[in-house]
Amino acid sequence: MNIFKNNVAILDLIYSIKNYYSWSYLAYFDLKLKYRKTYLGPWWVVVGMAISAGVLCLLWSTIFNLDWKNFLLYLFSGFIIWTWLISIINDGPEVFYGSASLIKAYTVPPVFHVLRKSYLNLLLFIHHLPLIFILVFIMQPNIAPRVFLTLPLAIFLIFINSVLYSSTIGIISSRFRDVEPTIKALMAPMLLLTPVLWKPEMLGEYINYIYLNPFTYFIGIVRNDLIGTDFDPYIWCGAFFITFLQLVFFMLIYSSKRNRIVFWV
Amino acid sequence: MQSYIKLKDCSLDFPIYEGSDLSFRNKISGFGRVSINKESSSKKRLVRGLNDLNLDITKGDKIAIIGPNGSGKTTLLKLLAGIYTPTSGEIEINGKINSMIDLGFGFIDDATGYENIMLSRVIRGESIQNKKAIMKAAEEFSGLGEYLDLPMRTYSSGMKSRLALSSALYSVPDILLIDEFFSTGDLEFSKKSRSRIKEIMDNSSIMMFASHDLSLIRELCTKAIYMKNGNISYYGNVDEARLRYKKDYS
Repeated sequence: MNIFKNNVAILDLIYSIKNYYSWSYLAYFDLKLKYRKTYLGPWWVVVGMAISAGVLCLLWSTIFNLDWKNFLLYLFSGFIIWTWLISIINDGPEVFYGSASLIKAYTVPPVFHVLRKSYLNLLLFIHHLPLIFILVFIMQPNIAPRVFLTLPLAIFLIFINSVLYSSTIGIISSRFRDVEPTIKALMAPMLLLTPVLWKPEMLGEYINYIYLNPFTYFIGIVRNDLIGTDFDPYIWCGAFFITFLQLVFFMLIYSSKRNRIVFWV
Repeated sequence: MQSYIKLKDCSLDFPIYEGSDLSFRNKISGFGRVSINKESSSKKRLVRGLNDLNLDITKGDKIAIIGPNGSGKTTLLKLLAGIYTPTSGEIEINGKINSMIDLGFGFIDDATGYENIMLSRVIRGESIQNKKAIMKAAEEFSGLGEYLDLPMRTYSSGMKSRLALSSALYSVPDILLIDEFFSTGDLEFSKKSRSRIKEIMDNSSIMMFASHDLSLIRELCTKAIYMKNGNISYYGNVDEARLRYKKDYS
């Protein structure tokens, strides 16, 4: 197709995928540096997450009068995926001006810096996966075998969306500096509007409103099979549709503004 | 294939943004608004960094770039390195480039000297498979010894410069782009880095070197570009370029 041939966004992606060693090494190093000199290293994140999710589970199951055993896996998995998604959303706007000194000194495509940040967030999420697996093993032993296919696919889909979103919003927020605080302000109440701390059926007749929230799809594709919910094709269709929209925005904005980033950061 | 650099009518404009230009809210709220002063509202705030440059550089050329501060020397090097893209005109480059511009940018204060050297190489897309050899070479060249095991935040500015040079001077590219940094470190290190850079320069197909040191460029370069306000004022003989520069600014 002509639109993809010699397109700068596609060329940059191909270059960066070929040089995956560089950005993955840098992301790994960022992670290593973050937890240097701490006793448990990155496992502090896991401990922190286990404490937060455990307390939330106890509190919420008491407030809503729920069976905590039923609620624990739902909340734990949802909260861990949410933490990954919120890191992507909040880190996206600063992805380019956070790497300003590198952009001004080295000849690497801008998407390289996005891949570095997205991979770091993925590594942090992967740290939490054992927590989910332990709970699944204890509370959901008859897990559907399709999870071995859907879980990696869902994680990969979120990673792709992370790269597309961060590239697009990173460019926009490098140009317009009020975008980042706006996004952070908008994201503050988003946890309460997303089915993480509550179950969709609690909404009764308003249940369909959850599909207006894009986070519903990305949490759903990872969580549903883990907690033993019936396969929901609409959730997957929604996630693929959002990915397609993100790809269109990425192609339009990255291709036209890529060369301006160095002047904006 | 032979290395070359070709610039045809290359210009580069820097957009200037001030407070309200950086606001998305202002951009949206100003959309569709009729301005009384149409001329000023439609005029973009741009500073011309490079103006209609034409160059044809081939294998064997060792070119000095001289000129006063703000004349466009570093901007030209960054354009050739691919950091900037020309606003208009064409640029054609053949050959692997190693740019030594803003050395040490991207170094991490909490990382050790060794780690920063590895990071710098990784960002440049170089392999670090032979870690031991890289570390040994950096140790010998920088002379930083056991300090390389300490975080960079404990370094003096001279030590940081040594580290930056050690991370850059490791391979011979087809095209070498250097922004002035010879005054780095003490006398002994300055001499050592000069000789290493000279060795790399001699083995590179094309070298472009921005400097204020007029005696050094005579020693190292075969041609010179004299830049003035983003234009190439003169391109050719090194002595003639030096003379014109001295005449204009003495």
